[in-house]
Amino acid sequence: MANNSDSASPHYGMLIDLSTCVGCNACVAACKLENETPTGCFNTWIESWDTGVYPNVFRANLPKLCNHCVDAPCQSVCPTGATYTTDEGVVLVDHSRCIGCKYCMAACPYQVRWQDELTGEVSKCTFCYHRTSQGMQPKCVSTCITKSRLFGDLNDPESDISRRLAEVEPERLHAELGGEVSVFYVGLSATRQAPQASGVCRGGDLESER
Amino acid sequence: MVWDLPIACYLFLAGLGAGAYVSAIVAARCGEKSPEMARAGRIIAPVTVAIGLVLLMVDAEAGFHNPLRFFYLVSNLSSVMAWGVIILAVFMVVSIATLLLDLLKKRIPLALEEVGAVFSLGTAAYTGVLLGVVKTFPLWNTPLLPVLFVVSAASTGIASVVLAGCAIKNARVHAQTLLAKTRLVLPCIEIVLVALLLLTTQGVQAGIDTVVGIVAGSWAPLFWIGLVAVGLVLPLVVSFVEMRASRAGGTAAVEGRHSSVAMCACAEAGVIVGGFILRYLVVMAALPIS
Repeated sequence: MANNSDSASPHYGMLIDLSTCVGCNACVAACKLENETPTGCFNTWIESWDTGVYPNVFRANLPKLCNHCVDAPCQSVCPTGATYTTDEGVVLVDHSRCIGCKYCMAACPYQVRWQDELTGEVSKCTFCYHRTSQGMQPKCVSTCITKSRLFGDLNDPESDISRRLAEVEPERLHAELGGEVSVFYVGLSATRQAPQASGVCRGGDLESER
Repeated sequence: MVWDLPIACYLFLAGLGAGAYVSAIVAARCGEKSPEMARAGRIIAPVTVAIGLVLLMVDAEAGFHNPLRFFYLVSNLSSVMAWGVIILAVFMVVSIATLLLDLLKKRIPLALEEVGAVFSLGTAAYTGVLLGVVKTFPLWNTPLLPVLFVVSAASTGIASVVLAGCAIKNARVHAQTLLAKTRLVLPCIEIVLVALLLLTTQGVQAGIDTVVGIVAGSWAPLFWIGLVAVGLVLPLVVSFVEMRASRAGGTAAVEGRHSSVAMCACAEAGVIVGGFILRYLVVMAALPIS
């Protein structure tokens, strides 16, 4: 897990249980309202595809968001220092320093950053820092109808997320890249291996053909 | 795609300008000297790099709207781009100083040109390292890319100066000798590097998809016709024909120089077109890991 050397300070993280995610997109809509992202720009989204053979068909759902990497590649490439990491391990963008060079967008292994067409500034998921720094849950977590998203302090062994992480076998995206991230999944490899019997939907859009 | 045409143009122009600066040194100081071609190179170097930098700033939209933010550009020195800004700034100062001294008919100190040559190499290599450190795109994430970009910068820079030489009467003979001879070597190195790049990119699925897209997919016509045929094979073939003609003809070859100037110009234009297509393909055809 993401180990912060100073265990006294919290390290925010998220665990997403894919076995209970139904792909309702409530998190996506709630995030959009909460963070008022521009049309077509999402801080979180769900990639969904049909899988299986009749009569045993089901739908694979894979929510995506910023993984709030420790030593984030987007931060190390940012020439202006606009991207920074808070004490809680949340990777944020100081828009007043962003020149819109898009180097961070290229460097992000999860492709979660987007550019505001109006301002040219680059944004992404903030783990709802305006809420979480006040002790509240991120909007996608508090709105999830199946409680598939769990958020909390990874450095506190008594937190809900730490206890759950100890019970399950958490997986992460792009483990091959090494480094530490703050977003974990339950059932990730099973979902990713589910053969695609349809195109992949990203929100309401067809992201890729079958 | 994160970046597109403006950034491809910038990578190409920065390389060409860096190559032109070094070509000007060669034209001014080595072998059969040609002050005309040296002057051409000294003009091309700062002008092309400056155009590239303008493209870069226009593409960095948020900075373009708030120009003061560009002052933050050197605040994170772990970013390759911050180092690029420093290298480009020094290159611009040195190349403009070199051009001014030339225009004012002052002697250009060797030390100035040596510093300029170092920063030319830095500029050309930086454009490759910029992409090379990005792990998300398998096509970029290799030390081969800076090497390929440096070789391409050298060949496009030389081509621009030789092309200018072809247009200047006094410089024609020189245009066909020293610098043009590199046209036998550089495309060969580039062919090997491009092949190595495509072969070594296939470690992960996104890399395989990228390579398939380039050699057999939607980018294939641009790759095979634009880069391979026009940018690499055509200049090589012309160089071979020239070499055989000069060996066979001796003094007679000098008589027929008029047609071969046109041929030389075509080959150099091919090198420049190929250099641009290389940057365009690298920027546009790369697919991210998923």
